[in-house]
Amino acid sequence: MKESVVSAKKPIKTVIGPIHPALKEPIKFIFEIDGEKVIKVDLAPGHNHRGLEWMATRRNAVQTLYVSERICGICSISHSIAYCRAIEQAADIEVPVRADYLRTIFAEMERIHSHLLWAGVAALELGFDTLFYKAWEVREDLMDLLEYLTGNRVNYGVLQIGGVRRDITPDQHARINKSLLNYTILFDELYDMFLEDTVLRMRCRDTGVLTPEDALKLCTVGPVIRASGIATDVRQDFPYCAYGDLDIKAITPEALAGEVHGDVFDRIIVRLLEVKQSIEIIQQSMKKMPIGPLTNFPKLMVLLNHIKQAEGEGIGRHEAPRGEVFHYIRLAANQESPLVWKVKASTYSNAMSWVKMLEGEQIADIPIIVASVDPCISCTDRVAMVDKGRTSIFTQDDLRRLSRKKTERIRQGLK
Amino acid sequence: MSISKALNKSLWVYHVNTGSCNGCDIEIVAAITPRYDPERFGIKLVGTPRHADVILVTGPVTNKMKDKLLRVYHQTPDPKLVMVIGACGVSGGPFYESYTLSGPVDDVVPVDVYVPGCPPRPESIIFGVVTALKKLEEIQKK
Amino acid sequence: MNDNILTPEQVVEQFQQCLGDGLQASRIVKRSEGLKSAESIQIWLTIDKTKIKIAVQQLCDIQYPHLSVISGCDMGEGIELLYHFFIYYGVARGEYSVTIRTTLPKTDLIIDTITDLIPGALTSEREKQEFFGLQVLNIPDSRRMFLPDDFPEGVYPWRKDETGIKEEMVKKLHEVGKAEGAQRRAKNK
Repeated sequence: MKESVVSAKKPIKTVIGPIHPALKEPIKFIFEIDGEKVIKVDLAPGHNHRGLEWMATRRNAVQTLYVSERICGICSISHSIAYCRAIEQAADIEVPVRADYLRTIFAEMERIHSHLLWAGVAALELGFDTLFYKAWEVREDLMDLLEYLTGNRVNYGVLQIGGVRRDITPDQHARINKSLLNYTILFDELYDMFLEDTVLRMRCRDTGVLTPEDALKLCTVGPVIRASGIATDVRQDFPYCAYGDLDIKAITPEALAGEVHGDVFDRIIVRLLEVKQSIEIIQQSMKKMPIGPLTNFPKLMVLLNHIKQAEGEGIGRHEAPRGEVFHYIRLAANQESPLVWKVKASTYSNAMSWVKMLEGEQIADIPIIVASVDPCISCTDRVAMVDKGRTSIFTQDDLRRLSRKKTERIRQGLK
Repeated sequence: MSISKALNKSLWVYHVNTGSCNGCDIEIVAAITPRYDPERFGIKLVGTPRHADVILVTGPVTNKMKDKLLRVYHQTPDPKLVMVIGACGVSGGPFYESYTLSGPVDDVVPVDVYVPGCPPRPESIIFGVVTALKKLEEIQKK
Repeated sequence: MNDNILTPEQVVEQFQQCLGDGLQASRIVKRSEGLKSAESIQIWLTIDKTKIKIAVQQLCDIQYPHLSVISGCDMGEGIELLYHFFIYYGVARGEYSVTIRTTLPKTDLIIDTITDLIPGALTSEREKQEFFGLQVLNIPDSRRMFLPDDFPEGVYPWRKDETGIKEEMVKKLHEVGKAEGAQRRAKNK
C-alpha cells in the first residue's frame, strides 16, 4: 500500500475482485474508505455468469441434471437435490423412501465437508495457518468417504431424477461408522481450537454484526440468518426427503453462549455445531433407512419420455451448507427441455447482507467478514486502490497481511 | 530427467478463476494441504501474478473475465507457463455453448499444459505441475 | 407477527378478501415425502399485476415473509412473473410456500417494485430487468447486475421471441480448434 493513498483526505474507492472463485455469482466489491474505515459498499456480481438457465432450455432434463451439479462444485449435491425435486413435482414422479434417505445422507456428508472447508478458510484469513491445514487435513477423510460411496471426490453424479444411482450396502456401514466416530472425536478438538481461543474470540466478537431485523429484511438465509438469532432452517421448517422423519432443530448461537450477537464469532459457533448435527443426522438416517428400490425409473429412456410428456411446474428447495437453494422448473408437454429453469443459490440471497456487515468496519476485517458469509475461497483475490486517477494494486496477500497484523496485535496485547 | 535437476527452480503458482464452478478450485487448494504437500518440491500458491511462474486457469472464461485473464497473463513475468485445470477450460465441458462465454482458455491465452477432469484429482493437478516443470526446463535450455 | 397460525385455506381466504377480483386463481398443493409422509404445503396464487403491492402487504401482515427469488417465464404474449415467498419459517414442519403469479403483457412490461416492503428483493428485481427487459417502477438501483457492460441493448437472454439470444451470439466452445486439429492430425499421418 502506498503512503500517498493513506494520506488522501477524500474517501478512497477500493475495488475488491473480480477474480473470485465463486458460486453462480462471483462478486466484485467497491468500497469507499476513509482511513481504515469502510464507509460505503457496492457490489458488482456477474463475472461468473455462464448462462446456465438459458443452457437448460436447449438440453433435456437429465443433461441439465449434470449442469445443475456444476453450478457449484461444493454444493453439488444440494443443487441437484433441489433440481430433482422440482422436476419430480412438475412431472409427478414418486421417489422411493430409501432414495429419500440416501439423498439425506449424502447431503449431510456434503455439509460436513463444506463446513470444514469453511473453517479452514476462515482460519487462513485470520492468520491461523496451522488451523487451516488441520481443518483441510481432517476434511480429506470425508472426501475419501464420499469417494468410497459415490465414486467421485467432487461433483458426485450420484443423484438421478426419481431416485439415486448408488446404494449404501450393509458392508459399507462399518467404514461410514468409523469415519463418523472419528469426526465425533475431532469435533471436540476443533471446538476447543475455535471457540476456546481468546485471540480468535477477541478478533471475531462484534465484528461484522448483522441484526435480526436486517437479516429478515434482506432475505438472508442459512447459517448467517441463524447466527443473527432467527431459528429458520429448511430442513426443520419445510419437510422434504427424510428430514420430515428426523428430529431436527435449527441451531442458533443461543444454544452455546446463551446470547446472540449476530457477529462473525456467532457464525463460527453455528457452523461448528452444525457439523455435530450433521453427524447425528447421518447416524439417525442409517438406522431408520428402510429397504427398497433406489428409483422407480431404472430405464433412462422411460424417464425421459415421462418428462417429455409431462406438463406442469414445481419448486425444489434444499438447505445447502450455505443456506437455502431454490429451483423452479416448468415443463411443457411434448418438449424435451424445460420451458424455464430458475436457480437461486444461497449467496444470491446473502450478498446484500454484506453491505450491512461491512459498513463501519476496518479494512483489516474485510477478509474475515466476507469469508464469514462463506461465499467461497478467495473473494479478496485482488484489490485495486484508485487514488486521483492513479491505481495501485492491493493484492490478496496485502489484505491478508493486514488481517494477520491485526490478529498479531491482539495476541501481543494479551501477553 | 532427474528430479534434482528439474527442481533447480521452485515453481510458484498463481490461480485464476474465470467462471468455473469451484470444484477445480477446491481441488487446487486441497492439493496444497498436508496430505499431498507439494511444498516439499517448492510448489506453492502465491497471491499475485507478478510472483508466479505458472498460471493455473480454471473455468470456461466468461466474457467479463476475458480481459482480466489477459491482464493477469501479461502481468506474469517470462518465462511463464499456463495450465488449464478442468474440462470446462479445456473444451467447454458441460458449458459447451453459451452466449456469455468466450472460452475455451486456449482461445484467449496460449496454453502449455492441459489437465482434464471434472474436476481433476489433486494428484493429477500435481502431475500437471510436474509436466509444466519439464517444459519450463526445455524453455530454459534454449 | 401473528401468534395464531392460519391454515392454508384461511391464507387464501384472506387474499380473496383483500384482493377481490384481483385474485384470478388459487390452488393448494400438498406433497409428502419420507417414511412419515410429512406434508409440505404450497399455495399458488394468480393475481392481477396492479395488485402486487397489496398482495405483498397482505403477506407482511400475516408474517414478514422470506422472499426466495422472483422467477419468470416468457409465455409468448406475456411474461409471467412468479414471486416465491415463504411464511411461518421457524415453525417445525409448518412453513408454507406462497407463490404469487402475475402476467405482464408484452405491450406493457411495467411492474411496481416491492423493495420498499422487502429490501432484499432488489437483487431479484434488477436481475429480472436485464434478463426480461421489463421495467420495475421506482426501483432504487436499476444498474445491470449479471450481464457484462458491453452486452448489446435490447437483447434479453430469457426471452423466447426476437429479443432473445440470437444464434450468432452463441459461442460453441466445443468446436473451437476442431478443424485445425483435424488438419494437423491429417498432416502428421
